[in-house]
Amino acid sequence: MDKKTKKNKFADGSTKYALLSVLGIAGFFVIWQLLVVSGIINSKYLAAPTDIIKLFFVKIAETAPDGNTLQVNVFSSLRVSLLGLFTALILGIPLGWLMGWYRWVDRFVTPLFEIIRPIPPISWIPLTILWLGIGLKAQAFIIFFSAFIPCVINSYTGIKQTSPVLINVAKTFGATNFTIFIKVGIPSSLPITFAGIRVALGNSWSTLVAAEMLASSAGLGYMILMGRAFARPDIIVLGMLVIGVIGAIMTALLEFAEKKIVKWGGRTR
Amino acid sequence: MKQRNLFLEILYAVLPAVSIACLLVLWMGVSGNRPDLIPTPAETWSRFADTFDKPIMRLSFFGHILASLRRVMTALLISWSAGILFGILIGWSRTGKSVFGSIFNMLRPIPPLAWIPLITIWFGIGETPKILIVVIGSIVPVIVNTQSGMERVEQLYLDVGTVFHANSRQLLFEIAVPSALPTILAGIKTSISTGWMVVLAAEMLGAKSGVGFLITRGMDSGDTALVLVAMIAIGIVGALLAVFISFVERMICPWLRKK
Amino acid sequence: MAEKKIRLRLDKLTKIYHTPEGEFEAVHEVSLEVQDREFLVLLGPGHCGKTVLLNMIAGLEAPSSGSFYLDEKEVRGSHGAVGMVFQKTGLMPWKTVMQNVELGPKMAGEDKKTRRERAKKYIDLVGLSGFENSYPSQLSGGMKQRVGIARAYTNNPEILLMDEPFGALDAQTRYAMEDELIRIWEQEKRTIIFVTNNIEEAAYLGDRIVLFSECPARVKEIYEIDLPRPRNNVDPNFLHIRQVIAANTDLAL
Repeated sequence: MDKKTKKNKFADGSTKYALLSVLGIAGFFVIWQLLVVSGIINSKYLAAPTDIIKLFFVKIAETAPDGNTLQVNVFSSLRVSLLGLFTALILGIPLGWLMGWYRWVDRFVTPLFEIIRPIPPISWIPLTILWLGIGLKAQAFIIFFSAFIPCVINSYTGIKQTSPVLINVAKTFGATNFTIFIKVGIPSSLPITFAGIRVALGNSWSTLVAAEMLASSAGLGYMILMGRAFARPDIIVLGMLVIGVIGAIMTALLEFAEKKIVKWGGRTR
Repeated sequence: MKQRNLFLEILYAVLPAVSIACLLVLWMGVSGNRPDLIPTPAETWSRFADTFDKPIMRLSFFGHILASLRRVMTALLISWSAGILFGILIGWSRTGKSVFGSIFNMLRPIPPLAWIPLITIWFGIGETPKILIVVIGSIVPVIVNTQSGMERVEQLYLDVGTVFHANSRQLLFEIAVPSALPTILAGIKTSISTGWMVVLAAEMLGAKSGVGFLITRGMDSGDTALVLVAMIAIGIVGALLAVFISFVERMICPWLRKK
Repeated sequence: MAEKKIRLRLDKLTKIYHTPEGEFEAVHEVSLEVQDREFLVLLGPGHCGKTVLLNMIAGLEAPSSGSFYLDEKEVRGSHGAVGMVFQKTGLMPWKTVMQNVELGPKMAGEDKKTRRERAKKYIDLVGLSGFENSYPSQLSGGMKQRVGIARAYTNNPEILLMDEPFGALDAQTRYAMEDELIRIWEQEKRTIIFVTNNIEEAAYLGDRIVLFSECPARVKEIYEIDLPRPRNNVDPNFLHIRQVIAANTDLAL
């Protein structure tokens, strides 16, 4: 097919492809709008893009049908997910580093970790509700779980791959094991650790939706669930879009932070 | 020094057993003192045995696992075939990437579970919406990996193809797709664990069978032992699926086998 | 060499790359005549131009200007009469030795039996009998390059291009492979155009050596090597030729 373009990635035609991308997305929205406006898809099932834009402004002031304005829902979701995510980062990354560096930690923690790992975070919801009740703590705990696992796995893998040459160089300079851990091991694990944070972010944001649908009375997940209950496809689609946009923004922020911190630009994927 | 090393070796050998023993003791301790928080191991075991005598919603325990597995497998087959085709389209053809890749990237940040309300409005509560949600969740890693595998086909292999007069169809199927296969398989691996997670969520939000249903059922009827049994089963099935796909990977990509 | 039939003629081939930093000329007006069944070595310092020249003959890159003629007919793009052995072997890791070697005839749509017979012949010729079902990752560097040579021969090329095929091998294997190549070439006489940056290798293998200058590559001198084969690389005549060429070679830094 397009073999030639592979060779000269930056040759002429890049404007053509940029234009095609714009056309693709524009076409997507136009077809969507037409399908709804023309009545091919009943508005009971899907709202037109223009209606969703209108609803966006209405929902900033109005609390119907789920009982909260849009920004309250956004704030609530962000609070829960960031709380869970940061707890996972703070506990999971150092744990992974310790497991990867100190053999006794590895031998002790890995069996427990391997038992917990295959159990999807969502299935913890009933037990969590039993332990912490319905509310911020329970939801944050579920999200913590979903983000904790990739944090541990990646920081563990990252520090395990520290070049033995670097470690030996540090040893010949008389550094202690702990110093090497801090000065050599951790920095060289950062690119892979960041890949883990990226996965953790994605997990936490998608688990949030489930947590809010199953155990909450606010937030974007709750809002789309209520949209379902009140048969309001416009509320659902608005919620989905807001969830998507916030997810994309957080990913972009993380990539920015990664570029600032891992200046030497190691492997990222 | 020697003695110290021997001591360490023994310590390393027994530590995994110690940690699992600690977990069991903790479980027994907590469940013994606060049975309202978590059932004891013995209770959990007898609850598991009970499920064979008293079916839940006319299905045995394994019946529920099979119901979930059937949904996941149906959805995965759809995801794999559609995802690989779409991934090839946006990974190999620059036009395909511009037009469809941009739409895909726009929809991708929406988590699969967020589709549940819309899908249930469209398709009600039967099997179709559940399978569709699992497809939405599990197709993403397949597409992403196929695309990146196809974009990173080594130029050298394509040059070899050109020198040996491969036509464009041969370049695609003889060279590009096989060389992307390991990456595609990595995506398929991810899709299995994602699919297993998503089916659980879909079932928890409304189903009459499946492991997710068992969890909600246990939660609604205060039957914590059932919840725990289901969680353990979910973990075991998930782990088995991962082992199974590693085996399949070695079958499909024999050249990746360790010598 | 009594009759000197000209197989391939390059006429002022030039390659200029346009990069964001400006123009970069890799090959400058190279004109050459390649005789039938000769072993022609392109020798030059560093990484400049030779590979680009070879890629142009193979049809992997289009020349910026100039043209080349096969049996006095102008050629564009890849051509059935031209085969190539790559420096990095370019063996497909997912194909067995047999599947790699039969690539050319398979692409041409030849039936399985015929192409396997021919592939087997060349696998035997390069001394890899018994390794048909091995994967490249199970072979040593020298064996991989033998597969590359068998693959090129199986496609029945009239002209065989070899781009520093032994560049990645250790010295011992390299000597062995050079002897092996001469043996194969004497058995299956084809025209070979062999690129190297190693003067000793050039003098050991070539009927003629085309010496290129540093960037952009242009023809500096052409040497006829009349030493009988097998050549001895400590023979005074051999050492003399080596010295003459070395004195004329641009330093590559």
